[in-house]
Amino acid sequence: MVLLLLGLGAGLAAAVASGALPLRPRVPVAASLGAVGCALAFAAAMRVLVTGSVESFHTMKFLPMIGLTLSLDPLGAVFVVASALVGFAACVYCIGYARGGLQSRTAMALLMIFIVTLLAVPVAASIVSFMFCWELMALSSMLLILTDQLHSREARSAALWYGVMTQLGAASILLGLLLITVHGGGQTFADLKAHSSGLSSTIRSFAFVLTLLGFVSKAGAVPLHVWLPKAHPEAPSPVSALMSGAMVAMGVYGIVRIGADLLHGGTTWWWVLVALFGAASALYGALHATTSTDIKRLLAYSTIDFLGLVLIGVGAAGALLDTGQPGAARLALVAALLLVIAHAGFKGALFLGAGAVERATGTRNLDQLGGLIHRMPGTALLFALSAGSIMAIPTLSGFSSEWLLLQGLLHGFADRSTPTLIIMLLGIVALALTGGLTAVAFVKAFGIGFLGQPRSSGAANAVDVAPTMKIAMALLVLPSIVIGVVPGVVMPLINRAATVGLGTNASSPIAKGSGLVLSQLRGAIQPAELLMGLVLVFVAIWFAQLGLAQRRARRVDAWGCGRDVQTPRMQYTATSFAEPLQRVFADVLRPQSDVEVTHVAESQYYEQSLLYENQVRDVLEQHGYRPIIDAAIRAGKSARRIQNGSIHRYLAFGFVALLIILVVLA
Amino acid sequence: MSTTYVGALELASGAVLVSAVMTLWRRQVRSIVTMLSLQGMGLAAVAIILAVHEHDKALLVTGGLVFVVKGLVVPGLLRRVSKLDSNSRESEPLVNVPSSLVFAAVLIVLSYVVSSRVTSFAPTEATHLTPIGIATVLVGYFMLVTRRRAVSKIVGLILVDNGIALVTFLLTSGVPLIVELGSSLDVLLVVVVLQFLVVSMGRHLRTDELAEMKALRD
Repeated sequence: MVLLLLGLGAGLAAAVASGALPLRPRVPVAASLGAVGCALAFAAAMRVLVTGSVESFHTMKFLPMIGLTLSLDPLGAVFVVASALVGFAACVYCIGYARGGLQSRTAMALLMIFIVTLLAVPVAASIVSFMFCWELMALSSMLLILTDQLHSREARSAALWYGVMTQLGAASILLGLLLITVHGGGQTFADLKAHSSGLSSTIRSFAFVLTLLGFVSKAGAVPLHVWLPKAHPEAPSPVSALMSGAMVAMGVYGIVRIGADLLHGGTTWWWVLVALFGAASALYGALHATTSTDIKRLLAYSTIDFLGLVLIGVGAAGALLDTGQPGAARLALVAALLLVIAHAGFKGALFLGAGAVERATGTRNLDQLGGLIHRMPGTALLFALSAGSIMAIPTLSGFSSEWLLLQGLLHGFADRSTPTLIIMLLGIVALALTGGLTAVAFVKAFGIGFLGQPRSSGAANAVDVAPTMKIAMALLVLPSIVIGVVPGVVMPLINRAATVGLGTNASSPIAKGSGLVLSQLRGAIQPAELLMGLVLVFVAIWFAQLGLAQRRARRVDAWGCGRDVQTPRMQYTATSFAEPLQRVFADVLRPQSDVEVTHVAESQYYEQSLLYENQVRDVLEQHGYRPIIDAAIRAGKSARRIQNGSIHRYLAFGFVALLIILVVLA
Repeated sequence: MSTTYVGALELASGAVLVSAVMTLWRRQVRSIVTMLSLQGMGLAAVAIILAVHEHDKALLVTGGLVFVVKGLVVPGLLRRVSKLDSNSRESEPLVNVPSSLVFAAVLIVLSYVVSSRVTSFAPTEATHLTPIGIATVLVGYFMLVTRRRAVSKIVGLILVDNGIALVTFLLTSGVPLIVELGSSLDVLLVVVVLQFLVVSMGRHLRTDELAEMKALRD
C-alpha cells in the first residue's frame, strides 16, 4: 500500500508543482513527477496482481468525519494498471506537446489531479471516498476539455454536455449506493458487501439499475453516449487519451465492483441488460466510426464500440455464472478485463498519434491529410501498429482479447436458457459485425491519413513531432505487442482479478503457457509461434525475391485515366471511402447530403462550381435528446414570465411564502 | 419586583413594535430613521431588563452593544444617506399608508395566532411576549416589500433583524455574546454596503427608487 500511497502523493505533488512553478520548468517537472507517480502506482498494482493479496488503508484526514478508505485488490489493480499506463504515457507526451492553454498552471494542475483520481477511483473502498474521487475525476476532466480552446463554441458545448451527463450519472450512482447502505448499513465497501446479501431482491435490483445507469453513461454506452463523441475530440490529446483509455473503463469497473462484487451477482436479467447496452454500443459506435472524417471523432466512436464489447463480456460473464457455467463465465470476464488493458494501450496510443498529427498538420480532418508516412515515419509506424491492434490483427493485443471473448461466448452455448442465448447470439453477431466495421474505419484512418499524396498544404508541410511524444506512443504500443504475442504471460494476473469479480474460486480454463490454450474446452492459439512463422515466411519471400528479381525496379507513372496531370484531389477521401457503407446503413445513420451546382452565366450546360456537403449527425442526439432539451428550454422560458425584474415582486414572493408557511403551520 | 419587571419588559417590547408600526405611518425618511433609532433603544432596553432580572453580566454587555450599534450607529449612517437627498420622502408606497396600517394590524393578529404554540412550550412572562417579536419581523418584511425608496427598504431589513433579535432575547434570555456580536456587526456591514449602493445609485440614476432598476435584469 505504501507504494500506491507514494504514487498518489507524487501525483498530488505534481499538481502542486504545476501551480507553484514558473512557466519554463513547469511542464517538465510536473510531468516527470506525475510519471513517477504513475510508475509507483503501476508497481503497486502489479504486486497485488502477482501475489493476489489485498492491501487496505484508512485515514481520518482528507475527508472530514468519515475519512478516506482505500483498498487495492486484484480487480481494482487491473484498472489501476490501465490508468497508470495511459497516465505515464500522457505525462511523457505532455513534455513535448504542452503548448498554449495546456501549459497554464490551472491546466497542468488539473491534468495531474485527473491522473491521480484515475488511479484512486479503483482503490476507493467506501461510498464517500469513491464518490469523492469519482466527482473529482469528472470535474477535472470536464475543465480540461476547455483548456486548449476556451473560446471555441464546440469545446464549450462539449464541456456542458459532458458536465450535465456526468453529474446526472453521478447522482444516479450515489442514489444506488445510498439505497444499499440505507437498507444494509455501513458505508465502506466491505460493510456493503457483508450486508447486501440480506437485502430484498427488489432493493438490490433497484440499486443495481441506478448504479448501472450512471456507470454505463461513463462508459459511453448507447443511448447515454452522446457526451463522448463531443468531449473526446475537443479535449487536448493527452486528455483524450486518458479519457478514452482509462476514464471510460471506470464505468466498467463500477459495474463489476458494485454488481458482481458488492451485490454478489444478483439475477440473470441484470447481466442481460448490461450485454444489451454493450451490443447496442458496439454496433452503433462501429457504424459511426466508419463514417467519421474527424480523426479524433472516429477514435471516440470506436471507443464507444470497444467499451460495448467489454460490456458484452461483463454481461456474458454475469449471466453465465448465474446459469452455472463458471468456466465460460471466467473466460468472458478475463476477456473483458484483458480488453480494458488492451484498449488502454492502443486507444491511448491512437489518441496520442492523432494529437501528433493535429500538431504537425493543424487539422484533424482526414479529408485534408495524406502522405504523412513520408513526413512522420515514426508516428505512422506506431499509429499503424495500434490500428492493427484495434482491428484485431493476429499477434497484436486486440486479437488475443477478442478471441478470448468469442471463446467465452461460444462456450456459453452449452446452456440453453433464453437469457444466455440472447446474450450469446447478440454478442457473437456484434463481435463479428463490429470487427469488420472497425477494420474499415481504421483502414480509412491510416490509409487516408498516412498514405497517398497530401491533400492540403498543412499535410504537405508536416514535420515529425518531438521525440518525447513518439516515446509516449511507443510506451503504449508495448502492451499491444506483449498481450498480442505472449498473452499467456498476463493470464494469471487477469485471472486473479476475475476471481474477485466472479466471487468463485473455480479453476481457470486457461492453461499455463505463453499462448492461450483452453483446457476442458476446445480452442487454442499460439501467437508467438504464429509470429515466428510469419517472420520465417517473410524472410523466405525476401530471399526468394533476391534470387528471382534480378532486374532493377522500374519506376513509371500510374495510369492516369487519360489525364495528363494527377492531383492529390483525385485520390480517395475519407468521405468517399466510407460512402458505400454509409449507403448500406443509411437507415441507421440518416446521412444528410446536399449538392449545389452553380452554372456559368452563358450556358446552363457548363457548371461553374459544385458544392457537395455530406453530414452524418448522431441520430440519437437529434431525435432522443433534442426534444428533451427543447422541452426544458420551453419550461424555463415560461417560468421566466414570473420574473419581470421588479425587486418588489421578488421580495413579495418571499413575503407571501413566509405568510403561507406561518398560516399552514399555525 | 416581579410586577415592575413584567411591566418594564412589556413596555420595552411594546416600544419595539409600536416604533415598527410608526415607520409604516411616517413618510419623511428622516423621521422613519428616528423611529428606527427608538426601536434599537427599545431592543437594548429589553436586553438590559432581562439582564438585570437574570443577573447575567454578558447579557448586560450585549444590551450595551445593541444600544450602540442599533440605537446610534446604524440610524446615524442612514441619516447621513438621507441628508444627501433633499427630497427624501416616501412619496407613494406600493400600498398606501392607511392600508399599510390595517395590514400591520392583521399581521400582528397573525403573529399572536402563530406563536401561541411556541409560548406553550415554556410559559414565562418573557415568552408570552414573543408574538411582539414575530409581529416586528412581519411588519419589517412588509415594509421591505411595499416601500419604494432604497433607504426605506434598508429600514425594513433592519426591522426584520430587530424582530429576530427580540424573539431570541425573549425566548432564550439572550444568546451568547459572540453570536449577538456577529449578527450585529453583520447588520452594520450590510448597512455600510447598502449605503454605498444607495449613494452610487443616486449618482447614476438620480433616484433611489428601485422600480427604476428593472432594466438591469439580464
